Amino acid sequence: MSERPGKQAIGPSRKRRVRDGNRSVFIFLCLLPAFIFLAVFLYYPIEETFRIAMTKSSGLGPEPYIGFDNYAKLFSNEEFLAGLLHVFTWAFFSIIIQLPLAFLIAFSLTFYANRFTGGLRAVFYLSNVLPSAITAMLGRFIFAPKYGIIASLSSTLGWKWLSGIDFLGNQDLAFWSVFAIATWAYTGFPIIYLMARIDQIPKEVREAAELDGSTGWHYAMKIVLPEIGYPLRILAVLSTVGSLRLFDLPNMMTSGGPGNATVTLGITLYRHGFVNWNYGKAAAIGVVIFVLSLAFTVAQFSFGNRKGGETT
Amino acid sequence: MSDARNAAIVRRGSRAVRIRHGGPEVLATVLLVAIAIAVISPLIIPFLFVFKTQLEFAYHPWAWPRQFYWNNFVDSWKAVRIDQGLVNTLIVSLGAIVTTLPPAALAGYVFARYRTKATEIAFYAIMVGYFVPAQMVLIPLYKMEVALKLNDTLYGLFLPMAAFGIPFWTLIYRSFFKSLPGDLAEAARIDGAGHASTFFRIMLPLAQPATILALLLVFIGAWSDYLLSLILLSSQQRFTMQLRVASFLGAYGTDRMPRYAAAAIISAAPTIILYVIGHKKIIQGTIAGAPRE
Repeated sequence: MSERPGKQAIGPSRKRRVRDGNRSVFIFLCLLPAFIFLAVFLYYPIEETFRIAMTKSSGLGPEPYIGFDNYAKLFSNEEFLAGLLHVFTWAFFSIIIQLPLAFLIAFSLTFYANRFTGGLRAVFYLSNVLPSAITAMLGRFIFAPKYGIIASLSSTLGWKWLSGIDFLGNQDLAFWSVFAIATWAYTGFPIIYLMARIDQIPKEVREAAELDGSTGWHYAMKIVLPEIGYPLRILAVLSTVGSLRLFDLPNMMTSGGPGNATVTLGITLYRHGFVNWNYGKAAAIGVVIFVLSLAFTVAQFSFGNRKGGETT
Repeated sequence: MSDARNAAIVRRGSRAVRIRHGGPEVLATVLLVAIAIAVISPLIIPFLFVFKTQLEFAYHPWAWPRQFYWNNFVDSWKAVRIDQGLVNTLIVSLGAIVTTLPPAALAGYVFARYRTKATEIAFYAIMVGYFVPAQMVLIPLYKMEVALKLNDTLYGLFLPMAAFGIPFWTLIYRSFFKSLPGDLAEAARIDGAGHASTFFRIMLPLAQPATILALLLVFIGAWSDYLLSLILLSSQQRFTMQLRVASFLGAYGTDRMPRYAAAAIISAAPTIILYVIGHKKIIQGTIAGAPRE
């Protein structure tokens, strides 16, 4: 942000000194509403989160200061550790499954653009716009035992081995079932994001590649992939930060269960804060989520500084 | 800026068929269409179930319904009082729009057109909100709302939504105002228009594309919210659509699948109708708002 200040400003001309005062008043009045909102609902709660995280608080009565005790206890808390593990597992598999899938679809949609594939971008993005409650509902619809889509389709086909599985109630399958629904619901975003980036590659590059007789696969891997390396890294960071904040889908599909099988950091926060009314610990989890997502966001910007000049 | 790019994408889509790649293109097209059908099938299959009674469904889940049985819609509508939910969610969504857009447009305008050391600092102060996850502040937010008696009210829900949305939309408005030609405002100023009238009469109308994006995406965001509503609302009658869907999941489960399908269809309908109308704008806005280099 080193653009010259006032370069584009409608700055006060010398002739109109009278307006100078107005200018500051105008700036002040324009920024005031935004800052009132942020002060009340963001700056104050942020400060409070750090404070409450250092106290033993249940929302009622005194809040004795206990230093870093809440944080220390978190790291011996089975549920929290399960949440941490799931969140990073989730991020890892989002990156190695959803991103390559998104790349293949985005590339094919742009490379083989024709009458049939033209409208598909909107179809692939549709599930991203659905409220998470609807996504969870459809997820249960697919995986429900006995009457769910998988169960009833496989029993109609006579596949007994498949029709008896309770996907969301199974310790080993629940996590992957929720993950599958998330892949269905959220791969649309990387698809449209990558399509926009692939579309920026100059036509000449593609025409040159076609003249050289390179195949679609070769063009995708050798020319397009290097061009969108940076957008892919941004998507990887977004996936990671998104995983850290994961709450809606596992909470509505499995409530974190069975046991702790689908617990995330968001769910441990919710359970500690709003089920067990342990504000101190919940606030500490909030700080952990914040610090981790900040760390990954900073990583994104340091990528930007090192490699940003490479593309576009 | 992204208008031209998106126009290019759209044009490409509607171009006449020309099989240039032969076999691979045919194969890819078939695969892509198949995947797309699989992707929307969870939204289509409920229609196969919804017109059946539980009994018919249990015996012939995949057959064409023998007769159209509409009571599942009535049942699920009554079970979660969807009418009440629609009204509440509409109030929250409109409230979020009214409280998010004006502060963001004003601040974005100042950050684009009045660059000084002070506004630069203010800009970074607002961007703090862009990096703070809502989860982080849930506990103090809830405590504060209880103290102010804002909890379990609809405005107590959309006000913090606005606060979480303002940083992002300030950023969008800022980049939009930056992309407008400066001489327009200059001309207005020479004609004697004040700062405020330049903004309201000339610049804000020019920012209409950004405003339309914000209208659509803020509406969808507020409409879809689950976490904040779950924490802040406690009385049944104030529940938003998403909370009603979630409590339907908890209370009724999937034992009566046709009724479940009816609930899914009704509650997904508003979003899908909005998407069918505005999907170009929605996708364009999402790309424009995504982080870049």
